Amino acid sequence: MKLLFMKSGLLIFFTLFAPALNAEQMTPLPDNKPAPALLLPDMDGVKHDIRDYRGRPVIINFWATWCPPCRRELPSMNRAWKKIKDEGIVMLAVDVGEDEDTVFTFMADYPIDFTVLLDSSGEITARWPVVGLPTTFVLDREGRLVYQAIGGREWDNDSLLDKVRALK
Amino acid sequence: MLCISMHECCLLLFLSVVCGPIFADVSKTQNEETGLIGWKLKQGNMELELVQRLPDQTRAFFLARGFPAGIADDLGRSCIFQTILRNTGTDAGVSLALTVSLKDWRVSQGDASRPLKLKEAWDQTWPDALVSKSARLAFRWATFPSTQTFQSGDYNWGMISFGLTPGTRFDLRLVWNEADKKHSAQIENLICAPDR
Repeated sequence: MKLLFMKSGLLIFFTLFAPALNAEQMTPLPDNKPAPALLLPDMDGVKHDIRDYRGRPVIINFWATWCPPCRRELPSMNRAWKKIKDEGIVMLAVDVGEDEDTVFTFMADYPIDFTVLLDSSGEITARWPVVGLPTTFVLDREGRLVYQAIGGREWDNDSLLDKVRALK
Repeated sequence: MLCISMHECCLLLFLSVVCGPIFADVSKTQNEETGLIGWKLKQGNMELELVQRLPDQTRAFFLARGFPAGIADDLGRSCIFQTILRNTGTDAGVSLALTVSLKDWRVSQGDASRPLKLKEAWDQTWPDALVSKSARLAFRWATFPSTQTFQSGDYNWGMISFGLTPGTRFDLRLVWNEADKKHSAQIENLICAPDR
């Protein structure tokens, strides 16, 4: 009887939690279109052109300070950056629709060590296939859209990072 | 000692995959601190959570993003819920895309049923002179997309307005497509947050 209870418990566990165990996934984009143009200033006013990163895989995240899932995933992006920064992979975060002061204040509580770009008017983001925040794309070495993730992820999970590493 | 043979283990794994899509339920929770109520629907790979927003929360959010007080008040009093929709599929090589179009959802009270007021409809009611581009941009990103496809593991958050006065009770019929098949469900007795 005891064994039956234990097996039943295991069944319930699998039923409820098996999907969550594999939750970290990205969607492969089948047609691998070239990424839209992106030329934006960082927090110091230095402009970054996405084309300058050709030859390296790029993780590019669209977010905003008020967005709860963005705030939840940013620390994992920062941890991911610490893992990959010496591996020839680029990581960018594009803040959508906010000014430098807002982002600067936010970063006092949520440190971001990788490059943050500002799309205060939202015009650049509108050219990308972004429907909700956060949305993250992975670009290959040729600047093509290879993966997409809508909603937050635990980006320091190696199951995600290995897919990016494979693009090197 | 727990002893499970290989075929029993396979059975457990099989059931965990198969049983997930069979069960469908709506659960209700109440935040002890705020008193706000949330409803969660799980059916197949679709998980929807609707959480009440106090009118004051919504007013404050939009005022802080440059909306004039009158419009922020209209939005605050329009029965807005924070909405979280997730595709919980784990995608083992099969397309499990889930598509939601809010224009197919219906709010009902008794025999009366009507569509939602979507973000595009709200935006069109505001004169350019009253609402700045940056405020519109904040509204666009803070509200739930009218149509969106979720691949396995994707989720999104955003506000949905049900266009009712604070404290109103209503039922919500929702429709979505999963792997090109139409699904529907109903959440009964939702309550717009009171204006307190």
